[in-house]
Amino acid sequence: MSFWDSLLYDLFPLIWSGMITGCLYALGALGLVMIFKCSKVVNFSHGNVAGLTAFLVYGLSSGMLMSLSWGAAVLVALLGAIAIAFLIYSIISPLVFESDLTSTIATLGFGLIAQGVTLLIFGADIVALDLPIPRFAVSVLGLLVTGYDLTVLAVAVVTIGALFMVIDHTKLGIAFRAISENPFAAEVCGLNLRSVHYFAWITASILGVVGALLIVPTTFLSVTTVATFMLQAFAAAVIGGFASLPGALVGGILVGVLMNLFTFYVSPEYSSTFLLAVILVALNIFPNGILQRVGGSRV
Amino acid sequence: MTELLRVADLSVTYGSGAPSVNRISFTVGEGSVVALLGANGAGKSSIMKAVSGLTPSSGAVLFNGQDIGALPARARVAKGIVYVPEGREIVGELTVRENLILGGYQKAAAERKRRIDMVLDLFPEIAEKVDRQAWRLSGGEQQMLAIGRGLVADPKLLLLDEPSLGLAPLLVRRVFDRLATIREESELAIVLVEQNLAVTMRLCDELHFLRGGRIVGHRRAEDLKDEAARQQAIDAYLGAAA
Repeated sequence: MSFWDSLLYDLFPLIWSGMITGCLYALGALGLVMIFKCSKVVNFSHGNVAGLTAFLVYGLSSGMLMSLSWGAAVLVALLGAIAIAFLIYSIISPLVFESDLTSTIATLGFGLIAQGVTLLIFGADIVALDLPIPRFAVSVLGLLVTGYDLTVLAVAVVTIGALFMVIDHTKLGIAFRAISENPFAAEVCGLNLRSVHYFAWITASILGVVGALLIVPTTFLSVTTVATFMLQAFAAAVIGGFASLPGALVGGILVGVLMNLFTFYVSPEYSSTFLLAVILVALNIFPNGILQRVGGSRV
Repeated sequence: MTELLRVADLSVTYGSGAPSVNRISFTVGEGSVVALLGANGAGKSSIMKAVSGLTPSSGAVLFNGQDIGALPARARVAKGIVYVPEGREIVGELTVRENLILGGYQKAAAERKRRIDMVLDLFPEIAEKVDRQAWRLSGGEQQMLAIGRGLVADPKLLLLDEPSLGLAPLLVRRVFDRLATIREESELAIVLVEQNLAVTMRLCDELHFLRGGRIVGHRRAEDLKDEAARQQAIDAYLGAAA
């Protein structure tokens, strides 16, 4: 196979599918970063809570719990995710204002509880969550584009676009950015810090559910599927600087592409090791994230 | 003059140490400017934070006759008590306009816009840079933004914490000129914390001198018009610390 053939038939498809998966990592990473930016908590329950809600969609649409339509099941699961996020933040909010570390450790506990509840209700079996995603494939300049790819891309663009719109152009977004940078200044201006934290936690949970539901069709759903997916999202957040929303987006896509290339060209066995190496290299070269810029302040 | 703020036996203690503010009492009338003067560590900023609900305190804080001691900071902002902290505390990554929106966060959109326009009229220096990130402003402009952000909240009582800190004399004069304008054109009451007696005298009606967390002296501004009287007050109340 010539170089150009290899480029056309291997590299471009790998980059394309890596970008699609990367969009999902970005959704997960954005949730982690939103919570960290404003409440300074690394939410280790993110993956397990998203996994629980993915199982909820399965249970509500498969007849295991109920036989709702797919849309109704997703709606109920989203409401469930919002309620869980609300509950978790309500319980740890006294800790959030006392110690970042304690509240981060508390999220580990909530993650384990979410995993336990999933096992209790749905068991340890691997199930298939078949979402009504258009099933077609077209060839675009030699690149095979599937209905799944376009669905993920459309949902990711709309979701991330809406998120950035809110953060950049609304009063709530100004409050979020203010609290993220200078909570004291925000409090001086009469903002309710807890309300903005709730916004971040609830938005993050919605992003997590969207990411989880879209990653599941590429694999089966087990109690660890979404938590493992969130590990890649965590890596994306770290590469993006953990406090930058655009960084999380770029980090997600980068992780998706690099993982795909490594898996294909080197070895799927060592992909997790490779991911760790990418994180270490990125942290060494860009300790504040790949989108770090030269900022400053005047006095 | 109608009493707007009454602080009675206010104490602030951080951790298990000695109180930073120890049973201090003073009042502020509507439209008046009261200055708190003292050296570093005298407890001036702690008083401001206690009155604005940003730090726990004991004693009584009455605003318009109502005990507000149990109210959180945001409820005090809603009542019209607005704090402009030492060191400006603007949000550097936000634009000037976004900082002003933050100041009027509790206001309805139309009212907020009206007040932002008013602030930009008052401070043309920042009006020219309204879409610029706040960290790019000079120190004087940042101070104007901090005061402007406080004014957008439509305060009845403005708590101004060392607005001259770190500014060149020319900028201090410019900032205090604007404060004098605000004073002339509104019924706004101000509690002004300063170390600089000369600039404070331009604005205030009365002065409280603080040392070691206690009020050690009180003077009316009209009694300190000449330099000798001012120096005498400094020597008597602040001593070598001043």
